[in-house]
Amino acid sequence: MNLGLLTQLTQAFGPSGYEDKVRALIQEHVAPWADELRTDPLGNLIAYHRGNGKGQKIVLAAHMDEIGVMVSHVDKEGYLRFTRIGGVYPLHCIGSRVRFADGTHGVIYLEHREDTSPSPKLTQLYIDVGATNKDDVPVSVGAPAVFVRPLVQQGERLISKALDDRIGCYILIELLQQVQDSPHDLYFLFSTQEEVGLRGARTAAFSINPDMAIAVDVTITGDTPKALPMAVTLGDGPAIKVQDSGMIAHPKVRQLLVDAARKAKVPYQLEVLRGGTTDAAAMQLTRAGIPSGALSIPCRYIHSPSEMVDSEDVANAIKLLAAALA
Amino acid sequence: MQLSEAVGPSGQEESIRLQLEDLWRPFTTTMRADAMGNLIAMQQGSGPEPRPAVMAAAHLDEIGLIVTQIEEGFLHIAPIGGTDRRVLLGLEVLVHGREDIPGLIGTRPPHVLSAEERQKTVPWEKLFVDVGLPAEKVNQLVHVGDPISIRQPLLTLENGRVAGKAFDNRASVVALTLALEELAQREHAWDFYAVATVQEEVGLKGAITSAYGINPQLAVALDVTFGKQEDDSKIGVFELDKGPTIGLGPNFHPQLFQRIEATAKELEIPYHLDPTPGASGTDAWGIQVAREGIPTSLLSIPVRYMHQPVETLARRDVERTGRLLATFVAGLESSYRPGWEDEVDETAARSDQ
Ligand SMILES: [Zn+2]
Repeated sequence: MNLGLLTQLTQAFGPSGYEDKVRALIQEHVAPWADELRTDPLGNLIAYHRGNGKGQKIVLAAHMDEIGVMVSHVDKEGYLRFTRIGGVYPLHCIGSRVRFADGTHGVIYLEHREDTSPSPKLTQLYIDVGATNKDDVPVSVGAPAVFVRPLVQQGERLISKALDDRIGCYILIELLQQVQDSPHDLYFLFSTQEEVGLRGARTAAFSINPDMAIAVDVTITGDTPKALPMAVTLGDGPAIKVQDSGMIAHPKVRQLLVDAARKAKVPYQLEVLRGGTTDAAAMQLTRAGIPSGALSIPCRYIHSPSEMVDSEDVANAIKLLAAALA
Repeated sequence: MQLSEAVGPSGQEESIRLQLEDLWRPFTTTMRADAMGNLIAMQQGSGPEPRPAVMAAAHLDEIGLIVTQIEEGFLHIAPIGGTDRRVLLGLEVLVHGREDIPGLIGTRPPHVLSAEERQKTVPWEKLFVDVGLPAEKVNQLVHVGDPISIRQPLLTLENGRVAGKAFDNRASVVALTLALEELAQREHAWDFYAVATVQEEVGLKGAITSAYGINPQLAVALDVTFGKQEDDSKIGVFELDKGPTIGLGPNFHPQLFQRIEATAKELEIPYHLDPTPGASGTDAWGIQVAREGIPTSLLSIPVRYMHQPVETLARRDVERTGRLLATFVAGLESSYRPGWEDEVDETAARSDQ
């Protein structure tokens, strides 16, 4: 595990639509290993590995963007009201810190501290940047911010903000180095705007027009107290997508991944996710249709500032994908 | 602004499109209607070939009503798009059957309602249109599926304000027309496509197909946004007569935002910032993901009482929007392409193969 790289990736600022810093970081790490690199009109970064002319054209996608908040109003006293970028839960926000692109930090808190309602509304929350009045606020309406939470490694577990889906970005960066002999034409797609509707992957898939697409993203687990039934456990291996609420994985892609897991002798799980989907769902419906599937990293507390994954699952996902693309 | 009186519920935009064709013809190099019914007018630029294209889209359709059933001469109705049921009672309408027939929206009188019913808005199934004709005549003239539009003449208020039934989005169609007029007199390097899109109110349909068809290098959508009114919060609403709003967020390319903002400053046009963290609910959302992706921006005109028959705006905001769009388009250099801060340097990739 390259903890330094994962730290850089998870801590980079990149809410949906503002992925510049993540892209610059990834670019630096994939440039030595890519045959071509380009940024497209939606800001997707596409790193290309040229095959031997006998393979297939395959997209591997991980999204660069993370959830966040955006300032909608600044009041006279200098408190900020905000809306959410992607699936932010108000409950997770209370007491959280956020960071703006310019480095300004803010604390999110709830009006009426005595209010103990279990699910506050976003409109009851505000960001405090420590200002004393409106003129003192260093950021303006429309400014996006991300949650602040460092990466921690504890045994095999990794905890951080934005593991959804910087862990996928990490896997693709490592994978690119390991598939230098792959016969396939591989397009490593670091996509934008997944969290606001799978936007980047859709247009990138259109321009690449591949034979097959595989998303690498996180999925929820069923192994926490009173969790909804879900046969995915942290540490039991990467999860091969069968279906989620946006897509049924193409059986050919699913089988390719299962065969690869066996070949690479890594444990795997099968994933049926009832709520949520990935870039693969958008790529599947591009042009005349693209056989698509996904490899998921089991992750607890998705879309909270403290997402948790297992480093063995990550290592096994890289081995599995390397075997699939060999 | 009389365009607000023209009839064009989603999916039935042909008659207003024909009116618009006449209005736009003097200012365009070529004009066509595509298979969906979008009106696409092109004004050729002066730059060298291959010339980049900028598309500006304003939706032509309006919300309305549709006949769902005919019972003893009375017409049962359902909404087309987000029609506000609360304000329909007692309105005059036009039923677009075999001919246009005036009618009104009725419901049962208050005397016969229970106390509880009187407190509630009338559900769709209890609203009907009465055209005054005997049942046999109605059956001859009207069919299930015929559209119905609200009959509401333009009302000029004090202080440069006007009210009408379809300023969403005829206000933007007018702004787009003003931009076309202005650009016909001005030098512009890029080809300018003015597009009056169809079926926005039912899912951005016309924008999706027209953007695919034109495949422009960048696009600006024009729409309306919430004008500040008496009973509002301060968030997400914008004062009338303080200029258009410029969208900020993932739906909008940051460079286009910067250029448009700079243009507004240069023209001394006031504007608001409209933070939009996800779906903008406008044509911009459909256009941005056409084909390989199209850098897109959004200008919105503040309108009060949206989706009600008395949508109210400040005339000057419409003029400002047209002028801002025209100057932005005229300022696009031949070689300009929207890019990203850290655009990949092609030499960054290894070059050993
Ligand atoms: Zn994700």
